[in-house]
Amino acid sequence: MTLLELEGVTASYGPVQVLDGVSLSVPEEGAVGILGANGAGKTTTLRAISGTVRAGGRITFDGKDIRGMRPDQVAALGIAHVPEGRGTLGDLTVRDNLRVGAYLRKDRKGVDQDIDYCLDLFPNLQERITSNASALSGGEQQMLAVGRAIMSKPRLMLLDEASLGLAPSTAKNVYDAIRRLRIESGIAMVVVEQNANLAFTLVDSATVLETGRNALTGTSAELRGMDEIRRAYLGG
Amino acid sequence: MASSPKTSASTTSAPASSATTSSASSFRQRPWVRWGAPLLLVVGLAVLPLVMTEGANDTLARIGVFAVAVLGLNVVMGYTGQVSLGQIFFLGLGAYVTAYGVQSGWNIVLVFVLTCLIPAVAGLLVALAAARLGGLAIAMVTIALPIVGVPLAKRLSDFTGGSQGLSARFVEAPEGSGLYDDQWQLYLVLVIGGIVFLMTSLLVRGKYGRAFAIVKGNENVASSMGISPYRYKVLAFTIASLIGGVSGFLYMVVVQYTSPETMSFGHSIELLVAMVIGGAGSIVGSLLGGAFYVIVPDVTNAIDPSLTALLQGALLLAVLFVLPGGLVSLPRALTRRLRRSPAGRGSAAPPTTPSSTPGSGTAAEQSETERQGHA
Amino acid sequence: MGKFVQLVVDGLSTGSVYAALALAIVLVHQATGLINFAQGGMAVLSAYVAWWLTNQGLPLIVAILLAIVFSVVFGALVERWLMRRFERGDPDTAVVVTIGLLTLITGFAGWLWTYNNQQFPSLFPLDTVSFLGVSVSVRSLGTTAVIVVAMLLLQGLFVGTKLGLALRAVAINPQSAAFSGLPVGRLLMVGWGLAAALGAVAAALVAPQLTLTPGMLDNALVYALAAVILGGLTSPIGVVVAAWIIGILENLAAVYVPFIGFDLKVAVPFILIFVVLIVRPQGLFGRKTVVRV
Repeated sequence: MTLLELEGVTASYGPVQVLDGVSLSVPEEGAVGILGANGAGKTTTLRAISGTVRAGGRITFDGKDIRGMRPDQVAALGIAHVPEGRGTLGDLTVRDNLRVGAYLRKDRKGVDQDIDYCLDLFPNLQERITSNASALSGGEQQMLAVGRAIMSKPRLMLLDEASLGLAPSTAKNVYDAIRRLRIESGIAMVVVEQNANLAFTLVDSATVLETGRNALTGTSAELRGMDEIRRAYLGG
Repeated sequence: MASSPKTSASTTSAPASSATTSSASSFRQRPWVRWGAPLLLVVGLAVLPLVMTEGANDTLARIGVFAVAVLGLNVVMGYTGQVSLGQIFFLGLGAYVTAYGVQSGWNIVLVFVLTCLIPAVAGLLVALAAARLGGLAIAMVTIALPIVGVPLAKRLSDFTGGSQGLSARFVEAPEGSGLYDDQWQLYLVLVIGGIVFLMTSLLVRGKYGRAFAIVKGNENVASSMGISPYRYKVLAFTIASLIGGVSGFLYMVVVQYTSPETMSFGHSIELLVAMVIGGAGSIVGSLLGGAFYVIVPDVTNAIDPSLTALLQGALLLAVLFVLPGGLVSLPRALTRRLRRSPAGRGSAAPPTTPSSTPGSGTAAEQSETERQGHA
Repeated sequence: MGKFVQLVVDGLSTGSVYAALALAIVLVHQATGLINFAQGGMAVLSAYVAWWLTNQGLPLIVAILLAIVFSVVFGALVERWLMRRFERGDPDTAVVVTIGLLTLITGFAGWLWTYNNQQFPSLFPLDTVSFLGVSVSVRSLGTTAVIVVAMLLLQGLFVGTKLGLALRAVAINPQSAAFSGLPVGRLLMVGWGLAAALGAVAAALVAPQLTLTPGMLDNALVYALAAVILGGLTSPIGVVVAAWIIGILENLAAVYVPFIGFDLKVAVPFILIFVVLIVRPQGLFGRKTVVRV
C-alpha cells in the first residue's frame, strides 16, 4: 500500500527550475532515500511535500492530493518535516520544544508517554530537559528536532540531512536511534542524506536525483552494488 | 527598488527594456527634445505667475514649499530607506529662524544661511544619536520631534512668540518691477525651490546617491563595500534637515506667519503620507507629493474638514496596496496593464526554462554547497 | 515628602499606561517583526467604542469589557487583511502601512465623533487614601493595579498555556512551527488581538484623565516607543521597568526642574534616551542590538 506518491513534481525558485519532474513512491512503513549532488533538488523535494515551496505535478498522501496545501495543513495530516538546519526553537526549553511538537494532539497522557519515549530514545536530552534549545550541541539539537517530529505522532517523517555538521560518531548515534524508531513505531520515512553509507543503514530503497530529475532508482542492495554509486556517493 | 533614479519627464528618461517604448525614448533623446523640453518648462514657469490668478499663484507657491519639504523627506526615506516622522520639525525650525531673523532686522542673506544651517545642525545631532540604534529606531526617535517641538516652541516664547506665533512680512515685490506680491513670492519659490530640486537630483544620481541606495538595499552589503551605513544615514538625515530648513524659509515667504501648530504631529504624518503617495525615491514624486499635501486638504475643507485625515489614511493604504511606487508610477503601471491585456494570451510569461547545466544550485540550496566540505 | 510620594505614585500610574502600550508593541514585534505605530490609535478606537456603549446606557465596566472584545477582533482583522501582505517584506514599508492605519483610525474617529474632547467616566473614584501619612489618589493606585494584573495574566498565558507556547513558537520560527502543525496565520491574528486588548485596557484607564480625543494617545505612543528603545525590543520586563522609570521621572522633572515643567515633560524620555545612548548603547536591559533590523 503506497503512502506517499510523487509524480512529475516540478518546482522553481524564481527563474531557476529546481525540480523537473521528480517521482517518488513511499510504501506504508517504508523508508526511501534521496541521494544526489548539491543542487540536485533533494531538499526542494522535501519542501514540495511539506508545502513550503510551490510545486507542480502530483503529490498524494494516503490517496489525498496534498499539493498546494499550507505546511501546517500538511503537518496535520501526519507528515513531520525535520528540516535542514534542524529548526529547533532556540528560546524554548527542550521540554517545550517537544510540547510544541505535540500541538495538534489532545491526549495529554499519550503526550507525556511520548516525551518519555523521546528521552529514552535520546538519553542525551534527558539531562538537558530544562535547557534552552539554543544551548544544545549540534547533535543534541538534531535529536531534539527528530524528537519534536515524533511528538506529532506522524505517519511519515521527512528527514533532511540529519548528519550534517555532526562528528561521525554522533551522526551514527543519531541514525541508530532513528533506525530503532523506525522499527518500533513503523513511521514511514523520506531520508535526504549526503552520506549515502549512513542513509543505506536506514532506507530500503533510494532514488538518485540529478538536476531535478530521477537518474536512478533501486533497492538499497541494488544501488550499493553499482560502481557509479560507489564512486560518487560511497567514497569507494 | 534599487538605485535607478526616476528622472523628471522633462529630462531624459529611458524606461528600461521595452521594445514598444523604444521609439518614445529615442524621441526623448533627440538633442532638441533633450534641451528644448526643460527650456520650455522654464519659460512656462516664468510666464505662469504673470497670467494666473492670485489664488492660483498662492496655491502653486504653497505646493512649491511643501514639494521642497517632501523632497527633503525623500532624501532620507525614499532614497536611503530610513523612515523619518519628524521632517515637519525642520520646516518649522526653519520658519522660526527666518521669522526671528527678519523681526530682528538681520540681513536677509544671513537669515537664509542660518535657515539652512541651524536645522542642518539640529538634524545632524538627532541623527548622530538615532542612527546608532539602527533598524526602525530612527522612526521611533523622530516621531518625538514634532511632539517635543510643539511644546518647546510654546515655551521658548522669547524667540517664537509662544502660542501666538510670529509673523514676518519681508517679501514684497521690488519697486519698479511691476509685479504683484503674489507673483514675486511665487518667483522666489520657483527659483529657490528649483535650485534645491536640481541640486538634490544631482546628489541622488551621483556617488552619494548610489551609496544611499546601497544602504537602503542592504546594510551588510554596504558595510562589506566599505560604505558605512551609519555615516550615510547621518548624512542623508542632515541633508534632509537642511532641505527642510529651506522649505521653512519658503514657507515664511509664502505664508508669512508661523506658530507651533506648523510643526504639529498631524502635519508630520501628512508630509509622510504625501511623500509615499507622490512616489518614494522620486524627484517628480516629490512634486506630486507637495501637490497632494496642499490640494487634498483644500478640497476636503470645501466639503467637510473632518474628512481630511480619513481620506488621507485611506488613500495612503490604497496606494500601498495597488500602487506601491506612488502616483509617479501610475503612467508606467497603466501602460503595462494596457499592453498586457490585449496581447495577454500571446505574450504571457514564458514557462521558466529548465536549467540544463548540471549543478546549477539555487540560492536556497547553495548552503548545501558551502557546508558540504566536511561531509 | 507627601508630595514626592504622590508624584511617584502618579508617575507609576501613567508609566503603567505607557508600559501597556509598549508591551503591546513588543508583542506585535515579536510575532511579526514590525513596529505598530497604530497601536495607540487602535486603543483610542476601542476607548471610543466603550464611550459610545456607555452613552447607549450600558454600565461602564460592561462597556469596557465589550470594547476589549472589539479590540481583539479588530486587531486580528488588521493582521489578517492589512498587515499580512507586508509582514515578510521591507520593514520600512510595513511601518508606513501602520502609519496609514493610524491616520485612517484617527480620521475615522474624528469624522464620526468629532475632534472635540469627550468626557470619559472613570472606573475609580476621585478620592485619595492615606497611607503611612501620605495621601495618594485611588485612581493612580487602581490604574497601576489593573495594568499589573493584565500583564500578569498575559505572562501566565505565555508561560502557562498551550496557546502561549504556540505563540512563542511562532514568534521564534514561524516556518518550523508550521512543521509541527501550528496554524501560523491564525496565531499571528491572536497575537495582534492580544496586543490590541492590552492597548484597550490602557486606553480605558487613561481616558478619564486625558479626556477622549482621536489623538489622545499620540503622546503616550511616543512614551511607549521610548520605553521600547530603552528597555530593548526583546525584553518585556525591561520595557515595563523602562516605562515606569519614564513615568516617574517625567512627573518628578515636571515639578522639580523648573525649565521642564508640565508642558515639556514629554522631552524627558528623549533626554534619557540620549544619555543612555552615550552610556549604554545596547539599551538598559536589551541585548547588544536594541532594534532588530
